[in-house]
Amino acid sequence: MAALLSVEGLTKRFSGLAALDQVSFEIREGEIVGLIGPNGAGKTTLFSIIAGSQPPTSGKILFEGRDFTRVKPFRAVHAGIARTHQIPQPFLSMTVRENVEVGLRFGRDPGGARNLVKEVTEILELVGIASLENMAAVTLSVGDLKRLELARTLATRPRLLLCDEVCAGLTECEMQSILGLLRRIQALGTTIIYVEHNLRAILSTCHHVIVLNFGKKLAEGPPETMQNDPAVIEAYIGKKA
Amino acid sequence: MSAAERSPGLAARPLAVLPPLILLGLLAALPLLNLGANSVKVLFLTFVSIAASVGWNILGGFAGQVSFGFAVFYGLGAYTTAVGINEGLNPYLTYPLAGAVAALASLLVGLPTFRLRGPYFAIATIGVSEATRVVMTNLEFTGGASGYRITEHVPFRQLEHYFTGLMLAALAVGLSIIVRRSRFGLGLRAIRDDQDAAADSGVNPYALKLGAHAIAAALTAAAGGVYARYAAFIDPEGVFGFPRGVGILLMPVIGGVNTIWGPVIGGGVYGVIEEELVARFPQLHLLLYGVLVMLIILFEPGGVVGLLQRTRRFVLRRREASWQPS
Repeated sequence: MAALLSVEGLTKRFSGLAALDQVSFEIREGEIVGLIGPNGAGKTTLFSIIAGSQPPTSGKILFEGRDFTRVKPFRAVHAGIARTHQIPQPFLSMTVRENVEVGLRFGRDPGGARNLVKEVTEILELVGIASLENMAAVTLSVGDLKRLELARTLATRPRLLLCDEVCAGLTECEMQSILGLLRRIQALGTTIIYVEHNLRAILSTCHHVIVLNFGKKLAEGPPETMQNDPAVIEAYIGKKA
Repeated sequence: MSAAERSPGLAARPLAVLPPLILLGLLAALPLLNLGANSVKVLFLTFVSIAASVGWNILGGFAGQVSFGFAVFYGLGAYTTAVGINEGLNPYLTYPLAGAVAALASLLVGLPTFRLRGPYFAIATIGVSEATRVVMTNLEFTGGASGYRITEHVPFRQLEHYFTGLMLAALAVGLSIIVRRSRFGLGLRAIRDDQDAAADSGVNPYALKLGAHAIAAALTAAAGGVYARYAAFIDPEGVFGFPRGVGILLMPVIGGVNTIWGPVIGGGVYGVIEEELVARFPQLHLLLYGVLVMLIILFEPGGVVGLLQRTRRFVLRRREASWQPS
C-alpha cells in the first residue's frame, strides 16, 4: 500500500540549533502512529511543519504523493491534514456549536447543500460534548476544551489527524476516554499521528511508534519492540550504570 | 462577553426584522413633518456617517482589523463622484463607481498591510492615509489643496439628498446583516478570535480580510460620494484628512464594535453631535473625542450596545433576586 504521508530528510534549524535533523518516515493509511520522545525532541516542530505553520529548512513532505513541503496551513486543511494543539485554541467568542461549524464550513468538504446542524451534532456526540453545544467556549473546562479542539479539527474532515498531546493534564479516567475516542476516529477511516509523553497511552493505542530524540529519528517499529529497545530506554531514563 | 453577540437565524425570530423596518419607515416619512432645512441637513449627514460607520465595522468589528485609514476610501469616493458628475455622469451611477474605485484601492492597501497584525496593521493604515492626503493635496488635476467644486445644472433639492442618504444607510445595514450571517461572516469571526486557529480550520485569513476590506471600503466610498454631491465642494484636508479617518473609526467604537446596531447608534450619535461640537469647540473637538474613546475603552469596551446589554442583565438579575422567596 502506498504511503499517505512521507517525510523525507526533514531538517529545521533555529539559528544553528537543529530542532529536526534529517528525519524520514512514512505513514500508511488507516494507522494510528505514535510519535514519542523526550522534551525538546522536535515532535511539535515536526507537526507544525507538516501542518504548514512553519517552513522546513530542508527536506520534503509528500501527502498522497503530492509535494506539500511549504504549503499554507489552510491549504493543508483543504487537502485533509488537520492538527490539534497541545494547548487548545478555541474561538472564544463563539459557542461550542459555532466552533465546530467553522471547521465544517471551511474544511476539506465545505460543500453547500447539506445539513449543518445534524453534522455538528454528530461530531459533538462523537467527542462527547453534545450537551454543551450552546455554551460559550470561554466557559469550558480544560478537559472539555480538549474535546472541543478535537471536534473543531474533526469537523474539517481530515484524512490525516495530527494529535498533539491530547491527554496532557487530564486525569487517568479522562485519558482512557480520549484514547477510546482516538480508536473510534481511526475506525471511521482517519489516519492519526499521535504525539504523547505517556508511554502507556501510546502502547495501548498505536500500531506503530516513531521515536525522536534531539531532532533525530532514534527508532521506529511496533510498540512492543520499541518498549524494549535499548536506545529508546536510554533516551528516556538514561544509561544503565 | 459583550462582543459575543448571538445571531440566531431569521427563521428563529421572524419578528426581529420588524423594528428596523418600522424605523426605516418612520425615517422615510419624517420629511412629511416639514422639518427645517437644518434638521434635514443634520439627518442627512447622520445617514452618511452611519453608512461609513457600518462599513468600517465589517473590517474593524467583524474581522477585528482596526484601520485608521478609512479617510482614503471616503476621500476617493468623494472625488470619484465629484469628477464623475462634472464629466456629465448621472450622480447615481457615480456612487457604485466610487465603491468600485475604493474596492480596488482597498486591495492595493490590503495586499501589503494585511501581512501585518494588530497594532502594526493599524499603524500602517495611518501611513497609507497620510500619504494619500499628501498626494491629493498636490494633484493639480483636482485643484490640489484649494479643493474641487461640483457643478450640477439641476436645482438643489435637499430631500433628494435626504432619501439618497437614508437608502445608503439602509443598504449598509442590510449588507452588514447578510455578511454577519454568512459563511464569510463566520470566517471573519474566526479570524477576529484567533487568526492561526482560523487557518488551522481551513479559513484563508488573507483572502477573507481582503474581501472584508473591499466591502467596507466600497460602502465608505459611497458615503463619501453621497456627501460630496451634497457639499458641492470638497478639499483634501476635509475628506482625506486624518481626523476623518479617526471619525469613521470612532462611530462604531462609541456605539459598540462587532455588532450590527452598534455602528448605527454610534453613527447616529456622532452625526448629530459632530456639527455642534465642531461649531462650538473648533480647536477642541478632537480632544473631546479622544477623552471619550479613553472612557469607552476603560469602562465599556462594548460601547452603547455593551452598556445596554449590561444594564439589561443587571435589571434581569435584580428582578430574579426579588422574586426569590425569602
